[in-house]
Amino acid sequence: MDILFLLIPLSVALVFFILCALWWAVHRGQFEDIEAEGERILRND
Amino acid sequence: MTVPRTVQDEHLRLLDDPQEWPQFSQADPAQDDCWTSSVVFEGMHCAACAISIEDALRQVPGVKSVQVSAASHRGRVVWSAQQTKPSLWMQASAAAGYKAVPANDAHAHERRRQVARRMVWRVAVAGLCMMQVMMYATPAYVAEAGDITPDMLQLLRWASWVLSLPVVLFSCTPFFSAAWHDLRGLRVGMDLPVALGMVSTFVVSSLGTFEPTGPFGAEVYFDSLTMFVFFLLMGRWMELRMREKTAGALEAVLNRLPDSVRRRTAEGAWERVSIRRLAVGDVLEVLPGEAFAGDGTLLAGQTQVDEALLTGESRPLTRQVGDAVIAGSHNLSGRVELRVEQVGAATRYAQIVALMESAAVHKPAMAELADRMAKPFLLAVLLASVGAAVAWWPQGAGHAVMVAVAVLVVTCPCALSLATPAAMLAAAGALARSGVLVRHLPALQRLAEVDTVVFDKTGTLTQDSFSVACLHLREGLREDEAWQLAERMAAHSLHPVSRAMSAQARQRRQALGQAGDVDSLPAGWVLTEYPGQGLQAHWPEPAGGQCGLRWGSAAFCDAPARVSERLQVSLADAQGWLATFELHETLRPEAVQVVSALSQQGLQVQVLSGDAEPAVAEVAASLNIDQFRGGCSPQDKLQAIQALQQAGHKVAMVGDGLNDGPVLAGADVSFALGQALALTQSRADMVLMSGRLDWLVPTWQRSRQTMRVVRQNLAWSVVYNAACVPLALLGYLPAWAAGLGMALSSLLVVLNALRLSAGLSSAAFFTTGDNRGS
Repeated sequence: MDILFLLIPLSVALVFFILCALWWAVHRGQFEDIEAEGERILRND
Repeated sequence: MTVPRTVQDEHLRLLDDPQEWPQFSQADPAQDDCWTSSVVFEGMHCAACAISIEDALRQVPGVKSVQVSAASHRGRVVWSAQQTKPSLWMQASAAAGYKAVPANDAHAHERRRQVARRMVWRVAVAGLCMMQVMMYATPAYVAEAGDITPDMLQLLRWASWVLSLPVVLFSCTPFFSAAWHDLRGLRVGMDLPVALGMVSTFVVSSLGTFEPTGPFGAEVYFDSLTMFVFFLLMGRWMELRMREKTAGALEAVLNRLPDSVRRRTAEGAWERVSIRRLAVGDVLEVLPGEAFAGDGTLLAGQTQVDEALLTGESRPLTRQVGDAVIAGSHNLSGRVELRVEQVGAATRYAQIVALMESAAVHKPAMAELADRMAKPFLLAVLLASVGAAVAWWPQGAGHAVMVAVAVLVVTCPCALSLATPAAMLAAAGALARSGVLVRHLPALQRLAEVDTVVFDKTGTLTQDSFSVACLHLREGLREDEAWQLAERMAAHSLHPVSRAMSAQARQRRQALGQAGDVDSLPAGWVLTEYPGQGLQAHWPEPAGGQCGLRWGSAAFCDAPARVSERLQVSLADAQGWLATFELHETLRPEAVQVVSALSQQGLQVQVLSGDAEPAVAEVAASLNIDQFRGGCSPQDKLQAIQALQQAGHKVAMVGDGLNDGPVLAGADVSFALGQALALTQSRADMVLMSGRLDWLVPTWQRSRQTMRVVRQNLAWSVVYNAACVPLALLGYLPAWAAGLGMALSSLLVVLNALRLSAGLSSAAFFTTGDNRGS
């Protein structure tokens, strides 16, 4: 059970890491115009 | 005057240049130093914010009036150029916590995107942290006593605290900043209770984490906190997206004009210039896919244009050299050159935009009532939560605080104040997409109550043209000959009757398959016009003597006396009378269906006209209208409408908007046909942009739906608050459920309103489906 004393802080760190990835995705505009991306595949050009 | 320091202030100061003003403002024609500016406010959440902005701006010297719409985040500021500058009142608004951006500014769109992005990011942080905090909270809920060692529990609490920090410090900031501005201004806003709830939950839980022996015990509520923040933000985010969709019609029109245009220089080359440098007389090149920047006439090329947003005409219209195009319409198929005849505020487009913007900020009476109720309601909520905390204190301080938090969070005055404007705005947006402009939102409410529709005749039920009802001929003359002679003569007159006859004769020939132009008159002819009587043409006969034709009134042509109330035009030659054409007004093709649809819906239909009684009777008979009056002066019409109103009827007046201003103003709600109309001068509440009656019935129906939705929304918000506040006071509602309830309540109101933004269909009334001419 002692491993939890390492794993819980690690999970906190992991959440911050995922937050960084999300920040990148949001501010690159990945969540804007979601419909258009879906439609793009149907277009020829 | 304060000295601007930051980059933002620098940007504001740029707006002090009078050259920039027309971009987002209109000068008042009556007072030359008075401007009306349209601005978008950032950071608004609800009706209380609109009131705060209005208060803040009114305190600026030189600001004459302010109207802010909570639902669209748009406002209209009237200010005096001698006493203030845009940067001054924009700074005042920023100081109150709401950044003002000029509405027609290209930055507005970019800013909206940034706001949306920040919102998504806030929701994402709250969501992710909420999930992980929930993980850390679960063991404490499911474990039996003694399963988890105390130090492990403590570790889990610390972890929860660490992950709650980003939520409180970042995701919650919009609530905190709004509440702070309210507090500083000694006001009560919608965000104050929510922010109080967040702070107290976080403080109690932090104390539980770091001082388990303190007065609030060892209990932590990080899971409740992160969850209700997440739900609240979710609700706000959805609202934001829906508002953007609702305001879509308005924005779509507003952002219709291109930023720059290709203009022909004096040397004949093309240069790209800003739209603000455009002047009357410029020649522009417009490529397929581009929008026209000004009203004008085509000089070269042929294309199809899309005027759907401006006139409601959904089909592409063909435009050739010499045809007029309007600013804001889209060039669909071909490259054209255009001579600009109107720019800026003079264009029809600008008039439409001005109309739509004034509609968005007129507050319906019901919304004002809701706004007034919101403030005492919020105060009552604050008091109730304090009372709950005091009452529950003996059961444990931590629990008491959480009950108070639930009361603070569960109440949803937003639903109350959004109920009316959200619905009306959604409906107005849908109507605008069909070419029905609503000038004042309250008109929608009045339209829903209408039980009598009064039509003007000329130009409203009828077109401005005539058609031949019957034809009388001299013995031996063939019909074809009469038509041919009539066309020859009519081509040389500008009289409306002659023009109508020309058009009819041409149509008749086309229908009979006779192509080409009509034979012109013989060589050597001389044309003489007798004003008020007719036209005479004569030419020398080859055998000597004179030969001639007369075209005009019955007396002028020696026509045999004939009893008819109809308009007539006669033809005669040297031997005397040849033919008489009896004319009647052409009904609008859609008039019959519109009138019968209105009667089917249980509305009383009447005609009031300034024309002679028999002509009115004929039109009324062909439309199956029993009640009509001819020979009315505008005063008579107004009296007739007032008599109806005194008899308890609610009257809608439909006119061409040109001659019947006072009548339109006297009716409960008025429609104008917007084809040939100077829009800003019209006093009608609603304008049918297509210049056709088709959308009258769907508009009426949509207004009834709107009022139904408004009533549902108001009922919902009252029932919701009445049910949830007692539950929270009694301690049955945990904080996370309160957050969920409030977010869902706001969302429900907006979603319900959004049902009204569906496009209108006229198909239900018209069996032929598409009977609209171009």
